[in-house]
Amino acid sequence: MNPIISLKNVTKIYDDPHEMAIEGVSLDIFPGEFACLIGPSGGGKSTILKMIAGLEKETSGEVVKPDAVSMDFQNGALFPWLTVYDNVAFSMRARMVSGDLNNAINFQKNFYDEKSIDKKVKEMLEMMKLSEFSKKYPHELSGGQRQRVGIARALAVDPEVLLLDEPFSALDAKTTDELHNDIIKIWHESKKTIVMVSHLIEEAVSLSQKVFLIKNHTLDASFSVDLPYPRREQGPGFHEEVMKVRREFFK
Amino acid sequence: MTKIFPKVNHQPVHRRFHRHVVITYPISLWERFYSFVLGPVVFVAGLFILLKLFSNSTISLDDITPLPLGLIFSALLATSLRLLVAFILSIVTAIPLALLATRSRFTEKIFLPAFDILESIPILAFFPILIVFFVSIGFLNGAALFILYLSMLWNIVFTLIGGLKIIPKDIKEVAVIFGLSKVQTFFKVILPSIVPQLVTGSLLAVAQGWNIIIVAEVLHVYIPNGTAAQDLFGVGSILVNAAAKGQNDLFIFALLSMVLVIALLNFFVWQKLLRYAERFKFD
Repeated sequence: MNPIISLKNVTKIYDDPHEMAIEGVSLDIFPGEFACLIGPSGGGKSTILKMIAGLEKETSGEVVKPDAVSMDFQNGALFPWLTVYDNVAFSMRARMVSGDLNNAINFQKNFYDEKSIDKKVKEMLEMMKLSEFSKKYPHELSGGQRQRVGIARALAVDPEVLLLDEPFSALDAKTTDELHNDIIKIWHESKKTIVMVSHLIEEAVSLSQKVFLIKNHTLDASFSVDLPYPRREQGPGFHEEVMKVRREFFK
Repeated sequence: MTKIFPKVNHQPVHRRFHRHVVITYPISLWERFYSFVLGPVVFVAGLFILLKLFSNSTISLDDITPLPLGLIFSALLATSLRLLVAFILSIVTAIPLALLATRSRFTEKIFLPAFDILESIPILAFFPILIVFFVSIGFLNGAALFILYLSMLWNIVFTLIGGLKIIPKDIKEVAVIFGLSKVQTFFKVILPSIVPQLVTGSLLAVAQGWNIIIVAEVLHVYIPNGTAAQDLFGVGSILVNAAAKGQNDLFIFALLSMVLVIALLNFFVWQKLLRYAERFKFD
């Protein structure tokens, strides 16, 4: 099987300020995989995610990725002037109006009419348990609900790859737990490739099949986590997996 | 992150101290009561007392008869129209100028200092030259419009620059992720993001406009052997000419009418816009 995302000896140096972000990183992510990039802050994991998203261009090396990549941001990055419904519809409406296939990112499906958008938005809101909030504005929502809207918006365009940039970092433990369960459920049902950035080892081990440790601007180590889902922190083997990553993390 | 080459911070001063002004809608009941009702009342009453003190105590409300209602009304209309045209011109130019200045670090280095210099020019000092020019082409209103336009423009430009610079990076990245075109990005992401600054900048600009109008309509002062006949019809020229001729009743009536119009504008336009703009703020 060919990887859906492949970084080949990729280096990224930012121009202004002139800083090294990552150096000579090579990694493969296969279709349907749940992969996690972890590491200390400033280590370059977000840069890798942004390059997969097409937001940053590599300085050298090669980034192979599909066109249909969608992303959910750290705090949801919702538009405060749009309702939950319109925020979710935003991604599809953009496609509807432009229909411009020369844009950087082409999604498999183009949504040309409000009716199909309406159907899809309602489906997304249902899936993310947001139906009752559809007319609310982002400032009326809790952090967890905002994150759900961000994920709904990202999934609405039916991407091949879903990128999550530290989506749960600002949430409380209970909300994080609920969202973990939901994201695993979505992943199982949709069979999408998910790449997540996290700074928590436990989170990475409980969600993903592959953990890439990005440290000091390079790929320090990668781990396969073969535990069955749903994973529990008290479950068999969980602690061992966490310790395996932790040893490398703090080396 | 590791620095490959340590770099000194060469940022020009304006980069670090860009202007960022946002006026917020009064939230509490007291704030609203003050800005809608008590504020204008206190202001008008205070003005009234002041005027009485300075008019040798000969003026009372009864003296202001007959009230030149039609004259003042049409003068206010003419002045408001002048302000509106200048305002529209300045907002239409301010948006592209602000976008240009914040496009990249390079354009910022070029345009911000240029804007700073242009803004600091005391435009009223150039008014006589402007008038000579506009008299020669026979477009007297142009002189007033131009001076109003320049006095409004920079308020909006600098407020917008402040607004454009605080748009969160990830909000702009959303536009890239979902493949918005440049035009779509402007209308769906950038423009809504700066609505609060657009409202604040406009409010400040129009306030400045009311200020300048007092001078901008009175052209004859700058024309050799000029007479009041050369002035532009409006509440500004009525104020100045009435004061010069000692027509205190007309002066007071014109002044109070102008204050009333400004208070009404505040109540029916600016407060509503400020409230509307609250929704567009990032937290």
